[in-house]
Amino acid sequence: MDFRKTESRAIRPSRRGFLTLAAATGAATALGGLPAFAASAAPRRPTESPLLAADAAAKNQLWWQAPGSANSMIEQGLPVGNGRLGALASNDPARELLMITDATLWTGGRNDTLDSDGQFPYGRDDFGSLTMLATLTVDIPGHDLGTVDNYRRTLDLAQGLVTTTYDIAGVSYQRQVFASRPDDVIVVHFSQQGRGAYTGTVTLAGTHGEATTADRVGRYASFGASFANGLRYGAAVTAYSGTGKIAVNGTSISFTGCRDLTVVLSGGTNYAPDAAAGFRDPSLAPERLARDKVLAAARESARDLLHTHVADFRPVFEQFAIDLGASSAAQRELDTWGRTQARWRDNVPDPELEAAYLQFGRYLMISGSRGSLPIGLQGAWLDGNDPDWMGDYHSDVNIQMSYWLADRAGLSDTFDAFADYCVAQLPVWTEVTQRLFNTSTNRFRNSSGRIAGWAVAYSTNPYGGSGWWWHPSGNAWLCQNLFEHYEYTQDRAYLAKVYPVIKGAVEFWETRLVTTTVTDASGASREVLVADRDWSAEHGPQDTRGNTYSQELVWNLFENYRTATEVLGRDAGYARTIDDLRKRLYLPEVSPTTGWLQEWMSPDNLGETTHRHLSPLIGLFPGDRIRPDASTSKEIIDGATALLTARGMNSFGWANAWRSLCWARLKDAEKAYQLIVNNLRPSTGGSNGTAMNLFDIYETNPGRGIFQIDANLGTPSAIVEMLVYSRPGHVELLPALPAAWAAAGSVTGVGVRGGFTVDLSWRDGTVTQVRLTSVGGRSTTLVVGGTARPITLEPGESVTLRDL
Amino acid sequence: MQSPTTPLTGADRRRSRTPAGLAAATLAVLLGAVAVPAQAAPAEPPVSNDTVQAETTTAGLAERPFMGWTSWTMQSSKYPGLNPDGDYSYLTEANVLKQADALAAKLKPYGYEYVNIDAGWWRDNAWVPKFDQHARQTPDPVRFPRGMKPVADHIHAKGLKAGIYLPVGLEKEAYANGAAPIWNAPGCTTADIVYPDLRTTNGWDSAYKLNFDNPCAQKYIDSQAQMFADWGYDFLKLDGVGPGSFKSGDNYNNVADVAAWQKAIATAGRPIHLELSWSLDINHAADWKRYSNGWRIDTDVECYCNTLVSWENSVDDRFDDAPAWSRKAGPGGWNDLDSLNVGNGEMDGLTRAERQSYATLWAISKSPLYTGDDLTRLDDYGLSLLTNREVIAIDQNGAAPARPVTPVGDQQVWGSKNPDGSYTVALFNLGDAPASVTAHWASFGFTGTASVRDVWNSRNLGTQKDRITSTLPAHGSRLFTVRPGTALVSTSYEAEAATNTLSGNASVGGCDACSGGQKVGNLYLGGKVQFNDVRVKKDGIYTVTVAYVSGDPRSVTVSSNSGNGTSLKFPSTGDWGTAETVSVQLALKAGANTITFDSGTWYSPDIDRIDVPQSL
Repeated sequence: MDFRKTESRAIRPSRRGFLTLAAATGAATALGGLPAFAASAAPRRPTESPLLAADAAAKNQLWWQAPGSANSMIEQGLPVGNGRLGALASNDPARELLMITDATLWTGGRNDTLDSDGQFPYGRDDFGSLTMLATLTVDIPGHDLGTVDNYRRTLDLAQGLVTTTYDIAGVSYQRQVFASRPDDVIVVHFSQQGRGAYTGTVTLAGTHGEATTADRVGRYASFGASFANGLRYGAAVTAYSGTGKIAVNGTSISFTGCRDLTVVLSGGTNYAPDAAAGFRDPSLAPERLARDKVLAAARESARDLLHTHVADFRPVFEQFAIDLGASSAAQRELDTWGRTQARWRDNVPDPELEAAYLQFGRYLMISGSRGSLPIGLQGAWLDGNDPDWMGDYHSDVNIQMSYWLADRAGLSDTFDAFADYCVAQLPVWTEVTQRLFNTSTNRFRNSSGRIAGWAVAYSTNPYGGSGWWWHPSGNAWLCQNLFEHYEYTQDRAYLAKVYPVIKGAVEFWETRLVTTTVTDASGASREVLVADRDWSAEHGPQDTRGNTYSQELVWNLFENYRTATEVLGRDAGYARTIDDLRKRLYLPEVSPTTGWLQEWMSPDNLGETTHRHLSPLIGLFPGDRIRPDASTSKEIIDGATALLTARGMNSFGWANAWRSLCWARLKDAEKAYQLIVNNLRPSTGGSNGTAMNLFDIYETNPGRGIFQIDANLGTPSAIVEMLVYSRPGHVELLPALPAAWAAAGSVTGVGVRGGFTVDLSWRDGTVTQVRLTSVGGRSTTLVVGGTARPITLEPGESVTLRDL
Repeated sequence: MQSPTTPLTGADRRRSRTPAGLAAATLAVLLGAVAVPAQAAPAEPPVSNDTVQAETTTAGLAERPFMGWTSWTMQSSKYPGLNPDGDYSYLTEANVLKQADALAAKLKPYGYEYVNIDAGWWRDNAWVPKFDQHARQTPDPVRFPRGMKPVADHIHAKGLKAGIYLPVGLEKEAYANGAAPIWNAPGCTTADIVYPDLRTTNGWDSAYKLNFDNPCAQKYIDSQAQMFADWGYDFLKLDGVGPGSFKSGDNYNNVADVAAWQKAIATAGRPIHLELSWSLDINHAADWKRYSNGWRIDTDVECYCNTLVSWENSVDDRFDDAPAWSRKAGPGGWNDLDSLNVGNGEMDGLTRAERQSYATLWAISKSPLYTGDDLTRLDDYGLSLLTNREVIAIDQNGAAPARPVTPVGDQQVWGSKNPDGSYTVALFNLGDAPASVTAHWASFGFTGTASVRDVWNSRNLGTQKDRITSTLPAHGSRLFTVRPGTALVSTSYEAEAATNTLSGNASVGGCDACSGGQKVGNLYLGGKVQFNDVRVKKDGIYTVTVAYVSGDPRSVTVSSNSGNGTSLKFPSTGDWGTAETVSVQLALKAGANTITFDSGTWYSPDIDRIDVPQSL
């Protein structure tokens, strides 16, 4: 064994690549920050090109040989995003279409008048919905697809760039689409090699009936409006070129004979993440701000805008890398969609495609979760104003699954959007809960008649509003994510920030637990604490106490709370009270009837055997109270395995991802892998699976599929979980490496609970090298091939082990 | 013509497309028709049986698919202004001659020559027919005030040919209580030429079936043929012909009518091209080929709507229906896909991509090329589609029609070998979104580099190795001429080989058209055939060619090894005695592989053989 320590370095080495490049470019601003559309200082421009060389970029590029249809943008449009503004691009030579969404463009509001059944309304006016901001079209009538040769469009995951190239009559045309966070704009840049030129029209249109106006002198077009809820919003576009003619033509911008053309769009709302201000910034004029941003950007060359963007994007992407092995030449010849189809047709592993699917999830995270609201059911990628389930935040697996990826895959900073959201919503969540939760008609109310802390419903919006039914366990699950982020980062300031959220959930549960008597197998009876009447998340009866789902989540919440109070040195007395409660919690048993870990305090199967949710397995994943080692009884492990087996291998995308994560925890590599393969199945006619653009499709009804982003983020988490399992004090490498990836591979930048990151390489299924770096952690146990090694590091230190 | 008197029944596979106004007109005609039959008058003794043997082909006609214009497309349309005096009123001498003049000026140099008058020339604007005393159709004086001969004369003066139209059978209104004497047939009246029970025939049941057991019937056809010859017509479209025209059964078997027409034309003293309509029964293809010069394989292409046609109703039907007929056409008789309406995008009701695909399918199918557009209003793009000499040359090269070389999903590759050894290769995207389509040279039996010309874009694309991929718009196409590289060397595996594994009802059966004289059939409801021990030297994705027999289009799930496979629809081979091939993409690994054809939950083609390239 080669055991080598390296010198201390700056804290947060997960940002090492970022710091290196950002230092050179001056674009280093803290990630996170104000989650709002706001004026910002002019970014500093990189002095050297941050662009990757073509061969280096190719590793993280997806490509297609056909543009998207304007009628199928959710399956065929390519996503870009700057963390708040997202767009789907069609890349049609004759008509570039961008469908643009701002993550804060929400209708609805606090929604705090309950229906007669004590539950929340769930409509687009009361609860609200995420909606699209605008469409941008660039019509180039001479570039009919029927005359185009060598069409190709590429999604460069590492650089955040969509590039379309094609030839017409000997001229090579290229267009690039990117969403820049530093400039807060979306850029479409057209260029060509040969004697080509562009003639056409740029059109900006709102999606709620707004009137676009164009300014002849400023050569920009814009619109602005407000919703009934008072939210103001606006967007603006301008175009410029070194040659040809650009002019305002009605409400559009025309361009004639331009050898190159740059179109710049910005937009946003006056949403503010501040409950006290009613979630509005009254001083903000979105249309004017959008205009200022596009005119400021238009003073820069397209090259400088691109370089500024890539200098911002690439370092974040490069905090993590993965290689699952080489694919065949035949696979590489196919475009991404052809490859996806061949993967399913032939059942021949395509490790590069599978790794790219993971990186695509990371790409979506970087593009959709920086500096604004968190990723909801679709992130910032809509194709209409009526997304299913409002494109909202679902608190019974969806938002949690999306954020499982952040720390695992080197994107700790993208977690801030989620944490900041919870913190900003807390005052309203608390007020509404304490006023309404114990309403007599709410069948989930506390029998105790007491109320404290906060809760949410199954759906939440960005105005503190809940939608649909109360979801008493949702707070505990949100807090599990919040606490795990601390485990990964060991960032005390962060923990202090979210502590009130966690404590509020604890207080809620202190008032909600009730006592009951259970009889053990031995015949002895004992008094235990159970969750009050509830639903096992969308499954089975709605009035059962002590559901496994709630028991596990509350157990986890209370344990994490104890740790948080210790770390922060706060509320020691209360922490003891809560930990006493934790010890009295009923924990699930195995049914003598089914052999499954019980979902309810009943030996009977009260629901659907193959139900999509894995609520009773929440202690296996995302929790890890249930572990396939000596700490958990074999009976419980067998019961969990039997239940997971019974749930089946074919469900919705997120449900398959969750199953895969559970199988990875049980170290069944082939089952975990098969579920990833199942999610890569090409979606046809709306069936569950992967669309042309790799968005995951959820079949709501036969023949009707919608996009849900959680599987795009949850499946990558499963891939990581197959390679590295961690909990504080324990890191296990290659717990579930499938044969398809065993030959050779590597991964770098994987987050490790306990405050580390790990890089590892393997060959023939065996770890060949591992490097553990502390991002705040001091000791852990590294388990490789069944051998445990204690590791001690100072923050910033690394250790590399070879010849294991 | 088809619609005016077509009852729309549930059995018709054509979707209802008749607006209410048209349906009312149709009903009126039907009521008039059924209000007839008085008892047939006692017949005079029939004339002696004419034993003249008809020619089996009309020498010199239809050596190549004919080209021209038809009146029906604009007659049938609700496009504003076309039919100001009621449905189908577009048909007038003035309009025909206007179009003839435009055809002569714009399209004649490219080979377009026929000006074809369709249904209604003997009917007024209320669709009431006129007949002469011999039960022959006679021109409506409003539409054709000078009669039909001056029209043909004008057309001929432009160096063009004239076409005319009739429905098959004795139109009910011509029966005249059985008393109308047949021209030039002493002793024959209309009562002698039909059956005593006045059984009806044709696609609309608008005529009494002719009884050719009585020689008077042939005389009636002779009289019509002679009339057309005398007027100077060069082309006749015989419509409502069965089996076909959505009819089957003895009463609708018009093979004898068609034979009689061929015989009549042979004696009329003027060559007349005989074209049959519509949706002719493929099981009688040999009859149509023997007695006529062309046959409509499908329903009307027109939409009977506010444009001339629409993609879904019914241009795109032809992609499904043409493959069955690919071996039925040749010099003397061609598969007629109906009129080619690509000349004016706004009137046609099609996108540019759809118009190009429409013209491409017609050309590679060696369909007659006759447009129904307003030739005085062709747009530049439409003119370019109709006058592309390379495309016309493909249509006219005398070779067999192209057929799909891939299964027929949203993306399809079609092709055929040209007389000069090159290949015509067409890519189609029938999907509603843009898509790339790849033609693998292996699908055509060659490999390596081949030179490619993009026919529509008039560009040489240089040499392309192993394949060409193009990105096509929704409903788009590309048309290439490919000069092949070297021949592909494959290993054949017979489906009937004893080493294969058959499951379910699958069984080996005889097949004269198949290699080895056998195939595996009864692939239905779970039946499958697995080829074992398919060997290749290298891992890769191979173009595997499948020889199969399928009298109708059928799907089968094709997979290799542990793959999930793909459900693929194989185009019809035309009947259950003809083998064709399509090629599929499958991953194979070095060494032994399995390839499986699984019928799944429905019925699949019979499998003859697979050919696996020996190298990638």
